Amino acid sequence: MDGQLSAPTQATSLFDQTVIPGDIIVDLPSVANLRVGSGLRQDCFELLAMKVGTLRYKKPNKYWLESSHKRYDPSVEDTILGIVVGRNSENFLVDIKSSSLALLPVVAFEGGTKKNIPKLEIGSLLYVRVVKANHGTNPELSCTDASGKAAQFGPLKEGYMFDSSTGLARMLLSTPTCPVLQAFDLQRFKIVIGLNGRIWVNASTPSMVVLISNAIMASEFLSASQQANMVKELTDQLQTRCSVR
Amino acid sequence: MSAGEENIATPGEILGDSSQFIAGKGTYLAPNGRNIHASLTGQRRLVPPPPDSAEKRLTVEVVGHKTRGAVPEPGVVVIARVTRVMARMASADIMCVESKAVKEKFTGIIRQQDVRATEIDKVDMYQSFRPGDIVKAEVLSLGDARAYYLSTAKNELGVVSAQSIAGATMVPISWTDMQCPSTGQVEKRKVAKVL
Repeated sequence: MDGQLSAPTQATSLFDQTVIPGDIIVDLPSVANLRVGSGLRQDCFELLAMKVGTLRYKKPNKYWLESSHKRYDPSVEDTILGIVVGRNSENFLVDIKSSSLALLPVVAFEGGTKKNIPKLEIGSLLYVRVVKANHGTNPELSCTDASGKAAQFGPLKEGYMFDSSTGLARMLLSTPTCPVLQAFDLQRFKIVIGLNGRIWVNASTPSMVVLISNAIMASEFLSASQQANMVKELTDQLQTRCSVR
Repeated sequence: MSAGEENIATPGEILGDSSQFIAGKGTYLAPNGRNIHASLTGQRRLVPPPPDSAEKRLTVEVVGHKTRGAVPEPGVVVIARVTRVMARMASADIMCVESKAVKEKFTGIIRQQDVRATEIDKVDMYQSFRPGDIVKAEVLSLGDARAYYLSTAKNELGVVSAQSIAGATMVPISWTDMQCPSTGQVEKRKVAKVL
């Protein structure tokens, strides 16, 4: 069967619907000052979908795709977890699960100057913010917020980091609090979620860390009640095992 | 042996004595200071000295018999296409030297401090050039083994032609902005003032 070329489809009929690469979106409600976000490409007054995702629209002129992938496409002001893989005289080279390495200037820390460069070893896990993300150039990161303060950015010590999809990371960061996180006793663990699909967890005991990580990894496609039930079962099992010992 | 062949010189061939001739283009003076040797293959040519100089000797030159493509020299204006934009520099393929096209590929680099003349440490390379832009630049120096150093730090140098994200050729509206005629979006470039 021949592949069919997708027909140009009216924008309003596609809002909050799934689109696939190659779909052409025409008849946009307003074309002045278009702000085209991730996953979409502009061709005169049409939009082409580049990824599989849900088309979202915010009045008056913002269009983007919400999609979930293993690979991350950097965009400005995202907070992500990166791993240091190298260093040159001006920047740390950081892997952010994207197609190119990102550059973190050695002075991009609170009170950072050429004299007090932090000693980050290869393999360090960092919580960073994306400052520049242009097509064709390496993304640039920073360990400060926009005003120059540290604001919890920087290296993460101990704990456990695992990979997930970008969709799961966004779900965990959504408000109101995601059910799987809500079901845990929020004071008993620390979690840092990177929009690039990396999640870091730390708790008082290793079994708790493993429990939380497994629960999060399994929760991507469960509904709210299923997530709550799963967490309850896991914590009950852990309690019975601990009490048996 | 025809008369034409007597005039052809090959590299290393002795063309004359330094007491009678001055070494010109395509020739060099031997270390012993006496012989003038050819350094190219081509036609031997004698050039009389300028009438108002004290020099009495003729200049001997070897002129290449093949036409060579243009080669960038320091101080000439070249047209180049930007290939990569990085944090501190942009790399470009030189396509024309003055108005002649080049026959072999030359690479040029435009460093952050050579993009414009004012506020050179605040230059954002991505807001000055994008891959695919055609720029007019001046050759600063022969640079290193990999690339010439180019500069766009004058009003008449910079981006002359660029495509917008939507794919149309943009129209310059100021020395920092170009506008796409089909979507109206304005993009930042370091625009050349072409009169």
